[in-house]
Amino acid sequence: MLRAEHLSKRYRQGEKEVVALLGFTYAFPKGATAVVGPSGSGKTTLLNLLAGFDLPSEGGVYLDNLPLHQLPEDERARVRLEYMGFVFQQWNLIPTLTAWENVAFPLLLVGRPRKERQERAFALLERVGLAHRLHHLPSRLSGGEQQRVALARALALDPPVLFADEPTGNLDAESREQVATLLFEAGKERTLILVTHDLELARRAGHILHLKGGRLVREETPKAKG
Amino acid sequence: MELFLLVLRNLLARPVRSLLTLLGVLVATASMVLFLSFGEGLRRALFQELSRVGPAIQVVPEGAEGFVFGALPEIPPETLKALEEAGKALGVRALVPTLFLARGGFDPATSFFFQGLPQGVGPDLLYPGVKAKEGRLRPTEGGAVVGGKVAKRSQLSLGSPLRLSPQVSLKVVGILEESGGLADNLIFVPLAPLQRVLGTENFSAILVALNPGQKAEAVARALEEAVPGLKAQTTGDVMRFAERALRISDLVRFGISLVALVVGGLLVANTVMMSVYERTREFGVMRALGARRGFIFRLVVLEALLLALLGGTLGLALGGAVSFAINLYTLDQVGLALSAVTPRLSLFALLVALLLGLVAGLLPAYHASRIPVVEALGRV
Ligand SMILES: Nc1ncnc2c1ncn2[C@@H]1O[C@H](COP(=O)(O)OP(=O)(O)O)[C@@H](O)[C@H]1O
Ligand SMILES: [Mg+2]
Repeated sequence: MLRAEHLSKRYRQGEKEVVALLGFTYAFPKGATAVVGPSGSGKTTLLNLLAGFDLPSEGGVYLDNLPLHQLPEDERARVRLEYMGFVFQQWNLIPTLTAWENVAFPLLLVGRPRKERQERAFALLERVGLAHRLHHLPSRLSGGEQQRVALARALALDPPVLFADEPTGNLDAESREQVATLLFEAGKERTLILVTHDLELARRAGHILHLKGGRLVREETPKAKG
Repeated sequence: MELFLLVLRNLLARPVRSLLTLLGVLVATASMVLFLSFGEGLRRALFQELSRVGPAIQVVPEGAEGFVFGALPEIPPETLKALEEAGKALGVRALVPTLFLARGGFDPATSFFFQGLPQGVGPDLLYPGVKAKEGRLRPTEGGAVVGGKVAKRSQLSLGSPLRLSPQVSLKVVGILEESGGLADNLIFVPLAPLQRVLGTENFSAILVALNPGQKAEAVARALEEAVPGLKAQTTGDVMRFAERALRISDLVRFGISLVALVVGGLLVANTVMMSVYERTREFGVMRALGARRGFIFRLVVLEALLLALLGGTLGLALGGAVSFAINLYTLDQVGLALSAVTPRLSLFALLVALLLGLVAGLLPAYHASRIPVVEALGRV
């Protein structure tokens, strides 16, 4: 389980100090949790701290009681590799690698043999409906297809925690629906943390956290939907 | 291995830039290989020749150590006398005073090397194994014996006139068979006309032939002791001197090619640095997914290494090809392979290319692996 305790992040900009996040405490349960809020409310900052991309000014992040914020850079990377999956808004994929190679990249990092990587990548791409796009470079894929490849890659090592930062931000309605469905499907059995300002998308999550000015102002639990 | 494919993919994604960089390294390596190949060629040729040259000891003025062909006529007849006496006491086989004169320019085709010999002495005493193909073996008064290659190159036949200076000219009285040795490129003449041309009574060097069983080293030291102011060098001395001189000239030539190498290295560094800037987001994604900094570092260093090594290998091949072409020419002209791309030179060139890639890759790699993840991902 992923837990944040009194997380704060301040940025120094010359003379003045920007408080991007202040005293954020929350234990993320299994299932989808959406983080919503207006632009500049601290959503991305929160994700950066939870994923160990950045270190908090105060407070801590615990993954099953492992203090992530106390680990050095390379060990946080190791934790990400083994316990976390990521889908970003765009430019997710490594441009010189084909769809299946992108999906297989985390498997490469943990040193799995090629045959196993290939089998796993093919199966995952089939699961997101891209069995016919295995050998395409990202530049030959549509935005929706790229996000589905990114999702398949996030699931490559079957991580317990899944992060998505505006994963449908740049997509047309149809692709958006496709990616959202796949995302929530994958989030059922894991901790899915979905950063978005799309309230409609957020409503499909089990919990909604409202951020404003870097503070958690409201927690909402919408009625379970089908 | 997988990392290697990733790197290769990236280089192929920017084919023109990669190719241009490759060409830069290629030219740098080729020029270095070529420069150094002359040293190797010279070394090989000289040692082959020296081991064939007859006289065991060459006496030259002190301070003029090295190749007798370059010695100035600075040994006066009195010194020769003293030396002859010392030689007699030591029981040497023969003492041959000799003079050298070079005529012509840089091009071996228009250059002549004259060696003056005393009366009654033929080239066979100094260059064992030479034989006359036509005419005489030994020069006569007013008659020269011409090495096989010179005769061919300058189309000399028996009776052809040879002009040493406007006042002094000789006739060809003998032509030697080609032996593959130094004698092929020399013209043997009597001492007197050469001394007249040089306006001296002196000699350039005195060559000492030994009787069987005599130790060159011991005789040389004894001669030096008997006649002060002279240096008696054995073949071993000459080889050591040659090696020292060649090593210095190797350094000079490597220094010159260093300029090209540095430019090649900067090219690689520039290309890799550009590629790092362009791929900041990509590296951010990799690290977000869990790649460690060392992974990014290796990725970038490997890119530089691959560029440099590929360029270096192709450059070595080009250098080898040009060296081969040069040798075709010089073999035809003077019977010497001037340039040699030896195994150790090849190895050296590849090592230099490797080092170049490493040095060029380190800074961009360090930079790439140090970008904070958040910054690399960009604030979306
Ligand atoms: N690296 C930074 N340096 C300075 N200020 C920053 C930096 N990152 C974020 N901020 C500030 O922190 C606040 C929260 O930003 P962010 O987390 O990106 O918001 P959101 O993702 O909700 O739009 C904003 O006011 C932003 O300007
Ligand atoms: Mg944001």
